[in-house]
Amino acid sequence: MINSENITQYIKDTAVHGDIYTDEEIFKQEMTSIFEKTWVYVGHESEIANSGDYKTTVIGTHPLIVTRDSDTDEVHVVFNRCRHRAATVCQQEKGNANYFRCAYHGWTYSNNGDLTGMPFQDGYGEEFDRCKMGLIKVPRVGIYQGFIFASLSEEGPTLEEHLGNARPYIDYVVNTCPEGISLNAGAHKYRFDGNWKLQVENTIDPYHLSVTHRSFFNLMSKKTGKKINFSKMHKNEKIRDLGNGHSLYELDGDLGIGALPFNLIVFPNLGFLGSQVRVTWPVSVNKTNVFLYPIMLKGASVEENAARLRKHEGFYGPAGFGTVDDLEVGFDRVMEGLNAKGKDGEWLEISRGLEREEVDEKGIITATSSDEVSARALYKAWKKLMTADDSNVETRGKKHEPTVGRP
Amino acid sequence: MSQLLVDRKQIEEFLIDEAAYLDEGKFSEWLDLFTEDSFYWIPSNQDDIDPNTHVSIIYDDKNRLEERVWRLQSGLAYGQEPKSRTRHLVTNVKVLHCEEDKVIVTSNFILVELRRSIQTIYSGRLEHHLKQTDTTWKIASKKVELINNNEFLGNLSFLF
Repeated sequence: MINSENITQYIKDTAVHGDIYTDEEIFKQEMTSIFEKTWVYVGHESEIANSGDYKTTVIGTHPLIVTRDSDTDEVHVVFNRCRHRAATVCQQEKGNANYFRCAYHGWTYSNNGDLTGMPFQDGYGEEFDRCKMGLIKVPRVGIYQGFIFASLSEEGPTLEEHLGNARPYIDYVVNTCPEGISLNAGAHKYRFDGNWKLQVENTIDPYHLSVTHRSFFNLMSKKTGKKINFSKMHKNEKIRDLGNGHSLYELDGDLGIGALPFNLIVFPNLGFLGSQVRVTWPVSVNKTNVFLYPIMLKGASVEENAARLRKHEGFYGPAGFGTVDDLEVGFDRVMEGLNAKGKDGEWLEISRGLEREEVDEKGIITATSSDEVSARALYKAWKKLMTADDSNVETRGKKHEPTVGRP
Repeated sequence: MSQLLVDRKQIEEFLIDEAAYLDEGKFSEWLDLFTEDSFYWIPSNQDDIDPNTHVSIIYDDKNRLEERVWRLQSGLAYGQEPKSRTRHLVTNVKVLHCEEDKVIVTSNFILVELRRSIQTIYSGRLEHHLKQTDTTWKIASKKVELINNNEFLGNLSFLF
């Protein structure tokens, strides 16, 4: 059984073991030790701009509803599960509602989660406290620059502490436009039969650009008459380990794939790159759902935002020239290759550029853009959380007892 | 009136020929069916969106469509290695609107795609705007309304 002690054998400073992408127990451990412990992005305020707006989402495998209170405009994040018989009370991706009525037995909740009533109330005795039977709220909700995060853990760093050195870059995204940004242009949604970490790693991996995406960059040079000098690019560009699992790739010029001058990973599953917000949902150890939300500029002309959309679609999405090659090479082929388990051949390298890392006074580690700084940053935080031997470990084990001995 | 101006059979045959180009991998011939100011459009999330304010799965003008085909033929489009085998079935063809040299035709389609030993079925409604030139019809726009355009989709590097 995987636990906080033996998990360390899957991670070295220079490599990660293939089982972290394929082992169901490790996946379960990730859900409890990472997704139920840290801050996870659940939506942007522009998606629930008006009183009563809501969207459904997940943290790890927990279905949730993010609502804007009809009375107070406060943002709530509640579990999408009726307190009576567990049916989800909201089926829509998004919408506007003052209350959620479970279609099973009719229990009804206001959009702040309170239980407002149920049919034939006389069946419950005096001990039944309706006030305690509202939709369960997640323990902590935090909003940073319009980005809504939630934590299933009552304790731990504040959202600001968790975001840490990533904050100025989120500020940059928001300040792209004086009137702010909005995620109201729909989303690309795609899935692949592979582990979620492959998509997160791929969010900052400039090393693969000139190989996997050669056709795209050949097209770009045909169009612009300029050939991208990747070797020069990798010398000039930097990747930074911002701490807490977050990392940053600073582009040296326009690659033709979006407006942001950087790619940012916010641990564990949020990304900012191109002109998009990328959200990676782990579904199971070998199934992952991905959302790409194009970032629209408030108050910009329709033409300007349309041009952003066209640029985004050119590289990203289930039919984008870049994404489809990542799906095949970066995910499908990797998952296939992981089945080959020769002696000493089960490790995936993340050592590139380790020798040329520099550390500044803030502790930010930097190397060049073909280096695997970002993957190392990810797995440092991964290991820290997966090995966190806090006092909850025992309760956690107990809490999940029924699922441990799964078939 | 429309029935008088164009023969539905003739339009249907055009759609069948278009589908055959795709299934036989004759992408250059397929590309030649499109007018210079044409669009090839697959909306994302829902069928009726404004592509200027809402993201599309594909919103190719002729130029990008040429790039798409160039990429597929470049030997570097890894998303199509292995290649998809496809069969496009086009049915329920209906001429919605018809002027002398312009036709709007809708149809239903089933597209069976095989790749990586996985067979996937796509379905939806097509809306073609066709223009008559001297000798033949050309595609002024092709809109593909996938019934699963709001689901999590797989690798769509083949052509619809």
